[in-house]
Amino acid sequence: MKQLHGSLTLAFLFFAFGIASSSFAEEHTFDISEIEKKPYHIGGNLELKPVLFGLDKNASLYKLKFYNRDEGNTLEEYDAKLQLEGSLEKGIAKLSVKTNTDYKKSYLGEDQQTAVYEGFLSIKPSSSLSIDIGKKALKWGKGYAWNPAAFIDRPKDPDDPELSLEGFLVASADYIKSFQGPLKTVSFTPVLIPVYNHVNNTFGDIDKLNFAGKLYFLFYDTDIDLIVLTGGSKTTRYGVDFSRNITTNLEIHGEFAFINDYKKKFIDSNGTNFEKEYDAKSYLIGMRYLTEKDTTYIIEYYRDGSGFTSGEMKDYFSFINKGYDSYISTGSSTLLKNASNVTEGNYGKINPMRDYIYLRVSQKEPFDILYFTPSVTLITNINDKSFSFSPELLYTGITNLELRLKTAFVSGERLSEYGEKQNDYRAELRVKYYF
Amino acid sequence: MLKIIIAFLSLLIALPVYAIDGTALLKQVDRNLSPESYESYRKLINIEPNGRKKEYTLFTVKKGVDKVASLFLAPASEKGRSTLRLGDNMWLYIPNVGKPIRITSIQSVVGGVFNNADILQLDYAAEYNVEKVEEKGGEYLLYLKAKTKTVAYDRLKIWADKGKKLPTKIECLTEANMLIKTLYFKDVKDFGGGLVRPSVIETDSPLYKGYKSVMIFAKVKARDFKDEVFTLTFMPNLESLR
Repeated sequence: MKQLHGSLTLAFLFFAFGIASSSFAEEHTFDISEIEKKPYHIGGNLELKPVLFGLDKNASLYKLKFYNRDEGNTLEEYDAKLQLEGSLEKGIAKLSVKTNTDYKKSYLGEDQQTAVYEGFLSIKPSSSLSIDIGKKALKWGKGYAWNPAAFIDRPKDPDDPELSLEGFLVASADYIKSFQGPLKTVSFTPVLIPVYNHVNNTFGDIDKLNFAGKLYFLFYDTDIDLIVLTGGSKTTRYGVDFSRNITTNLEIHGEFAFINDYKKKFIDSNGTNFEKEYDAKSYLIGMRYLTEKDTTYIIEYYRDGSGFTSGEMKDYFSFINKGYDSYISTGSSTLLKNASNVTEGNYGKINPMRDYIYLRVSQKEPFDILYFTPSVTLITNINDKSFSFSPELLYTGITNLELRLKTAFVSGERLSEYGEKQNDYRAELRVKYYF
Repeated sequence: MLKIIIAFLSLLIALPVYAIDGTALLKQVDRNLSPESYESYRKLINIEPNGRKKEYTLFTVKKGVDKVASLFLAPASEKGRSTLRLGDNMWLYIPNVGKPIRITSIQSVVGGVFNNADILQLDYAAEYNVEKVEEKGGEYLLYLKAKTKTVAYDRLKIWADKGKKLPTKIECLTEANMLIKTLYFKDVKDFGGGLVRPSVIETDSPLYKGYKSVMIFAKVKARDFKDEVFTLTFMPNLESLR
C-alpha cells in the first residue's frame, strides 16, 4: 500500500511537473527550427462534404434535369476535394503549383476530376518588379460576393466567395512604386492572355492574343484600380474599383464595369433565339461594418447590366415548362434539350439576372466560445423578389481543422430565379483539414 | 530680495530635474522595444480557460513609423496569409481569396485577445500623445491619449522601468477609461545588435474572462526595406523577404 501510495505520489509529482514544465516551455520558448526557411514547400487541404438536397419537383430547373427520372424528394451527395500546393524557390525564381481534385458520389454515380488550378514561374528581380508566366488566378475587383470588373477571372460563387478558382494561362508583371504624400502607391499589372484551340479556350473567341491591364493607386487612403481588357476574345471592357476605410470599423467598396458591344443571347417562351447588342454597364457598391460586439455586416448591391430581365427569365422558364409538357404528352425531349443548350454559360450563370442584394451577418465568438462563428447570408434578387437564405456554423478551434455546418433555403414565386431552382433546401457538413 | 532671487534660481535649476519630457521618453521606449526598421519572428499563443492552446507563427517586417507587414508561417491552415498596415489602413491577404481585403484595427485575424492593432503594432509615439508622466518607485507611469479616432485604443497607461526605459505593463482603455486589456512585458532578453527587450508579451482582458494570449519574439534585428515592400501588390510576395 505504502509502495502504491509512494508510486502515486511520484507519478503525481512527475505529471504535475510535466504539465508545469511543458506549459512553461510551450508558453515561453520559441524553437528556431520552426521558422527556418526551406527552398521548397508542400502542403494543401483535404475536404469531405456530405450534402442533402431537398428537391422542388415543380421547379423548371428540376424538370430540365430530372424529366426522365424520379430520384424521390431528397438527394444525397458525397463530395471530397483534395487541393495540393507546392513551391520551389531558388534565387529570384519561384515555381508554384496548385492542383484540385474533386470526387463526387451522387445519383449519377461516381465522378472524379483533377485540374491544375495554378502553375506558374515567378521571377522577382527586385521588390518593385515581378514577372509571372503560367496558369494563374488574378482575382481582381473589390466586391466580396461579385466582381463585375474582374474581367480575366472565372466567376465566383456568391454562396461561397472564398473558394479557390482555376486560373488562366497568362504572362503578367507587377511594377510597384511608392511615394510620400497623399499618393502613397502606384502599381501597374499588364497581362497577356493567349486564347487558342488548346489554350484558355473557355475564355472567349479563339486565335486571339488578349491584353489586360490594371493600374492601382493608394490615394488619400483609398485603394483605386483602373482596369481594361481588349484583344478580341471578348469585347473590349473597362473597369474601375475602389475600397476605403471610413472609420476603424467601417469599410466601403465599389466596382464599375463598362462592356462595349455586349451580345446578349436569349429566347422567347417558344424557344426562338434572339440576339441583342448593346453597351452593358455593371456596378457594385458595398460595405463591411463591425460592431462593438464583434458582429460583422457585409452588404452589397450588385447591378449586372449583362443580366436577364424578369421577362426574359420568365420566357426561359416558360419554355422549359413547355418542353416538359411536350415530353410528358409526346415523349419527345427535343425542346428540353434546346433549353439545356441555352442554359450552359448563359441562363445557367450563378446569378443570371440584373439586380441583387447580398447581406451577410456573422458573429465572432458568441458566448465566449473561441473560434466559433455563426453567420447568416441572404442573397435577394430584387427584380423578382426571390431569395436564398443560408445559416451556417463555423468552428476553427482545432489546429488545421475547419468544421462548417451550412444550410440553404431558397424561396420565390413561380417563374422567379430562386423559385425555379431544382432544390428547395440544401444541408451540408464540410470538414476541411489543412496539412 | 536676495531670498526671492535664490528661490527663483533654485526653481529654475530644479525644474529640469523633475519635468520629464514625456514625448522623448515614449520615443525612447519605442526605440528600446525595436529598431525603427526591423524584421522579427513571433509566436502567438491563444490559451483558453481549459488550458487548450492554439499557436500561430508570424514573420514581421516594419519600416519607419507607419509601415508594418506580417506573414503567417504556421499553422498550415493560415500559412501564406499576410497582413499589411500603412498608417490607419490595414489589409488581409488570403491566398485562396486572392485579393487583399481591408480589415479594421479592432478585428482580430487570429481570434483571442490580441487584435489586429496589437499584431501590426506601430510605434506608440506615432499613434499617441503623452498627457502626463508620473514616477512610481522604480517605474514611470505614462498616460497616453490617441492622436486620432482611428486608433484602436483611446487611452493607454504604460508602466516603464526607469533604468531600462522598457515597458513592464500596458493598460489599454476606452475614452471613458474602461479597461479593454492589459499587456504584460516579460523575460527581457538580448537579441543582439544592442537590442535588449522583453521577449514575451502576455495579455488578458476583462472582456475575455479566463482567456490569455501570449506573444513570443525571436530573431528581432534591424533591417532596412524598400517602401514597395509595404504595398498591396507585394503582399503575396512577403515570403521572398525571408
